[in-house]
Amino acid sequence: MTQLILFNVTNGLIVGAFYALMALGLSLILNLSGIINFSHGGFLTLGGYLAYSLSLSMGFWGALLLAPLLVAALGIAVEAGLIRRLYGKDPLYSLLLTFGMALMFEDLTRFTWGASAKPFVIPEALAKPLTQQFFFLTGYRVFMVAIVLLAVAALFLVLRFTRLGIRIRAGTLDLETVSALGINVRALRSLNFGMGIFMAGLAGVLAAGMLGLQPTMGNALIMPSFIAIIVGGIGSLPGTLFGGLLIGVAQGITTVFYPSASEAIIYIMMGLVLLVRPRGLFGEEGRQ
Amino acid sequence: MRRIAILAGIWALLTLAPFWLPLVGGYTTLGTRVLVLGLAAMALNYLLGYTGVLSFGHAAYVGLGAYGAAMSIKFLGMGALQAIAIGTLLGALAAVAIGPLIVRLRGIYFSMCTIAFGQVFYFIAFRWNTVTGGDDGLGGWKRPALEFAGYKLDLLTNDVAYYYVALFFFALAVGGMGLLLASPLGRVQLSIRENERRARFLGIPIERHILLSWVVSCLVASLAGALYALLNNFADPRILRWDFSGDLVIMAVLGGMRSFWGPLLGAAIFVVLQDYLSSVTENWMSFIGLFFVLVVMFFPRGVLGILKRAR
Amino acid sequence: MSLLKIEGLTKSFGSLMAVLDVSLDVAEGELHAVIGPNGAGKTTAFNLISGMLDPTRGSIQFAGHDITRLSPNERVRKGIARTFQITEIFPELTVVENLRISVEVAAGYRMRPWLSRAQTAQVKERVEQLAQRVGLTAKGGRLVGELSHGDQRAVEIGLALALRPKLLLLDEPTAGMGDQETEDITALMHRLHREEKLTIVLIEHDMPLVFKVADRITVLAQGQVLAGGTPAEIASNAAVQAAYLGQAE
Repeated sequence: MTQLILFNVTNGLIVGAFYALMALGLSLILNLSGIINFSHGGFLTLGGYLAYSLSLSMGFWGALLLAPLLVAALGIAVEAGLIRRLYGKDPLYSLLLTFGMALMFEDLTRFTWGASAKPFVIPEALAKPLTQQFFFLTGYRVFMVAIVLLAVAALFLVLRFTRLGIRIRAGTLDLETVSALGINVRALRSLNFGMGIFMAGLAGVLAAGMLGLQPTMGNALIMPSFIAIIVGGIGSLPGTLFGGLLIGVAQGITTVFYPSASEAIIYIMMGLVLLVRPRGLFGEEGRQ
Repeated sequence: MRRIAILAGIWALLTLAPFWLPLVGGYTTLGTRVLVLGLAAMALNYLLGYTGVLSFGHAAYVGLGAYGAAMSIKFLGMGALQAIAIGTLLGALAAVAIGPLIVRLRGIYFSMCTIAFGQVFYFIAFRWNTVTGGDDGLGGWKRPALEFAGYKLDLLTNDVAYYYVALFFFALAVGGMGLLLASPLGRVQLSIRENERRARFLGIPIERHILLSWVVSCLVASLAGALYALLNNFADPRILRWDFSGDLVIMAVLGGMRSFWGPLLGAAIFVVLQDYLSSVTENWMSFIGLFFVLVVMFFPRGVLGILKRAR
Repeated sequence: MSLLKIEGLTKSFGSLMAVLDVSLDVAEGELHAVIGPNGAGKTTAFNLISGMLDPTRGSIQFAGHDITRLSPNERVRKGIARTFQITEIFPELTVVENLRISVEVAAGYRMRPWLSRAQTAQVKERVEQLAQRVGLTAKGGRLVGELSHGDQRAVEIGLALALRPKLLLLDEPTAGMGDQETEDITALMHRLHREEKLTIVLIEHDMPLVFKVADRITVLAQGQVLAGGTPAEIASNAAVQAAYLGQAE
């Protein structure tokens, strides 16, 4: 029994780390620009598929490095070209825009790479289980968590110590003042958006290695990201990180006792959090 | 005076639809579809255009209406009226349960939660596939006859009759919403849309009023869902998906959010467009997505919004 | 009789003391001005009185009731109405529509799905009365968003008056206004105060205006009360002159 719980909790943490990666990118964009990026899943999917195509010519490691960067570049282009024009307006419009983009991404992916699922080949070295006792710990899963940790650590370091990061954080609190200080808010928002999309693209590559590729993969994974943000707390990046891990673990534990409820549990948690503490576990005071 | 003339014109068009539709290359069922989806979009707009609140998960209530009606027919053998009532009630109950959880939130966070809650029901329909038919939807039943005061009207073979049944409920719902909007209650709603802070400092309990609008909106959406299921003889899981929620919003925006009848117009345009695109290309989804982008960038006030300005 | 009594009101944001130990008494029928340099905590004080912020310490008594813990709309219903530094009105509605909302809410109709003919007529009459009171009868059908700054301010005061308040809080009503508009608003305040005996608390930077209309003045500086008294007393107060008046002219 303990081994089963251990298995599922560890698995839950791994899945949770993955949710957190996606959610952090989404949260980053949400906090600074006030935009719900519905196309986040689309960028994830694109990241996975691009990695697939790239891996054919430059192998796994090349793809892992390049695909998220390409996707981030596309993200910045979209932000500068389209999303930027909607900043002053009702958030309804940016939501509709990213929504339309999500539809386009899903269909374009299907069109370019075909509708059927594709496997994504990961290096031999990673695919093997690490130990016989903990058979479920394949090298790939550990690798995935390592990459997520690296990315999250890098994100927090950037936000804490670099000029860009400090400006983003300041902008999250009071964009008007930041602008008044002479900082180029446009570039700030674009870069921030790019960072968020990079994380989506990276998540896509990692997901590809674990689950294979499907045109609908991104949109299926976007829901847990939303819930991670709602549970963890609006406006709080550590909250989002915690939220992602928490719902992952919750899923893991539920699988042991009520396997059929394991997907529902995240929605139940969301309902509970909204009931008891509407702004989320680490959320800031309500903005009126 | 002018308003009455326009209103009369609209109702004349709607009442005579089965007669003029074939003349323009349409058919009655298409009209029913536009009517029902238009009702769903108008329900959404009660919240969006008239209260200033964005729900991006209204598909859930339309879906609940549809599945409620379908299940009551398939498993309980209900007649048309009862099925519609049950479907509507199911959606309304869900709205009453969820509403209090989210009205304390604002802006995009509210929208995010509506999206998430919308997905819950899609997910339930999917998982509970023994009852709901899962991905295949809930079929295997036919539109029952309308039984009222001893009189029985066959709806299954008679598309025109069903159109008028749908129109009847449409009129009830639309009339109700219209009356509410023209009342003090409706004006308070409007004030919340216009300036929430000012409304609060007039002594208006904002959350309570938003909750009220929410319930009305979701109830009408469920009614539309029930009517939709009966139209198709089938409860489609796709209307529980996030993209249908987006479709409803785009219908409202396209037609004009600030106008009462705008969403109906938007629904007409969208339905025709979607039908055309899906018959012409496999990648109609990309084009719909592109359409969304174009509307947002170039047509944010919608068709009626542009017409209003031009006057 | 004291209508509004504030005792030891304090509001801190972390280590920042926006308002510190402020006490203030406003008698019924009084026009009380609150003045002070920018950042003195005047608007914060208003936010505390109207319920937008919760105090860190202190109490607020209104008409004999302790309202310190009440929500904004409960305080409105007790009889406190306010205007904001940046005018808060319903921009895409007409003047008449704006006032109508306030009148209907004040009459207790906010939940009503319909009104009788008599009630509708009553509302209409009241709206006309209010429009006249604030001098906007001629502009009743215009969209408030398109009106001049002064007229928008008048609409906002109209919205507040519709609630039949016992206390009116005006936050910098003449800010950004030209001479004529300032005169109009001053005249309005005068009427409300002298003829209708309304209790008004006013935040203002326009010194001549303040000294013309105020019964009593409280001076705030850096979140604390510097001095309080009649206009004559304040004018001759050395500390006030040093801290504020000397700089303002």
